Amino acid sequence: MTRYRRGLTAITLALSVRRNKDPGMELLPDQLPWWIAGPLLGLLVVGLFVVANQPLGASGAYVQTIKTVRHDSDRVTWRVWYFGGIFVGGLIASILGPGVDIRQGYDAMSAAGWSAPAIGIVVLLGAIVMGYGARVAGGCTSGHGICGTAQRSPASWVTTATFMGTAVIVTFILTSLTGLGDVVMGGGQ
Amino acid sequence: MNRGMNIVGGLFGAGFGFVLAAGKLHDYDTIHATLRFESFYVFGLMGLAIGVSLPLLWILERRGTETVYGGTLSLSRSRVERHHIVGGVLFGAGWSIAGTCPAPALAMLASGATYGAIAVVGLFIGLWLRDRQLMTANRAIGEGDGERSTLPGTKTLGAR
Repeated sequence: MTRYRRGLTAITLALSVRRNKDPGMELLPDQLPWWIAGPLLGLLVVGLFVVANQPLGASGAYVQTIKTVRHDSDRVTWRVWYFGGIFVGGLIASILGPGVDIRQGYDAMSAAGWSAPAIGIVVLLGAIVMGYGARVAGGCTSGHGICGTAQRSPASWVTTATFMGTAVIVTFILTSLTGLGDVVMGGGQ
Repeated sequence: MNRGMNIVGGLFGAGFGFVLAAGKLHDYDTIHATLRFESFYVFGLMGLAIGVSLPLLWILERRGTETVYGGTLSLSRSRVERHHIVGGVLFGAGWSIAGTCPAPALAMLASGATYGAIAVVGLFIGLWLRDRQLMTANRAIGEGDGERSTLPGTKTLGAR
């Protein structure tokens, strides 16, 4: 128990240190260039295959977390560790980068004049459709989009082309209908 | 074996989450700028990730590389079926509306965006709904080539 408490103290300390840091003192740039982040992700994909003969998918980790909570006999516990790892990795990058900034998120939707409850409902519905679709297709952006395509799977290439194409069309419709795109935003260089 | 695999899983998850957050892939604007073709970021990142891993995996497969925990390295290549298209359309729509995908949603929450929690909960609900639907219909749940629920030869890894 003390081990966990010590870890928690360390995280709290790191967070408080960040708050007192001068801006511009970040160890990580605001956004890692894609030509660095891309190959790093590719090496992680290869690494997990070499160590465990397993793909670096994400939706499967959600599924295994559900199975673990349900105590299913065919649950795979290491995927739950992996699930938690994604959160911890994101936390570490945030601490080293811009800092953990407690906020609502989805600034673009707020900027377009949407109320907080409306944004919540849109995000929830979008995520439900996304989760359902990922289970129907058998994977998501990382599972099919990177790991499946890297295995030269025809199914993954077609799934990836389908969800990419759909996402572009839906984004176009969203932008034209709601004015989401009229707002000039930071992010994404 | 079990414990080692748990640690490996945690580490690879952490590396994955780190890269996603460092690349701001958990940011709605990064995703949408790419989907509006105003930025090349996500396409470039995914393209290079595939560009690096595809040839390496090909070589490792041909060499019959023995993995640490999972036997001989094996890649899966499935035929295209209807559910890939249907699922792809639904996933793509949800991805655009929620502006995030399963792994970046976790990184978003970790970065302090509280609404990332709504995306994570929604994903759980969506995945669970499909599971439930298939279980009720007594149909097997197919996994794509980017997901594997078991290690070869250890069908119920982690189960008591």
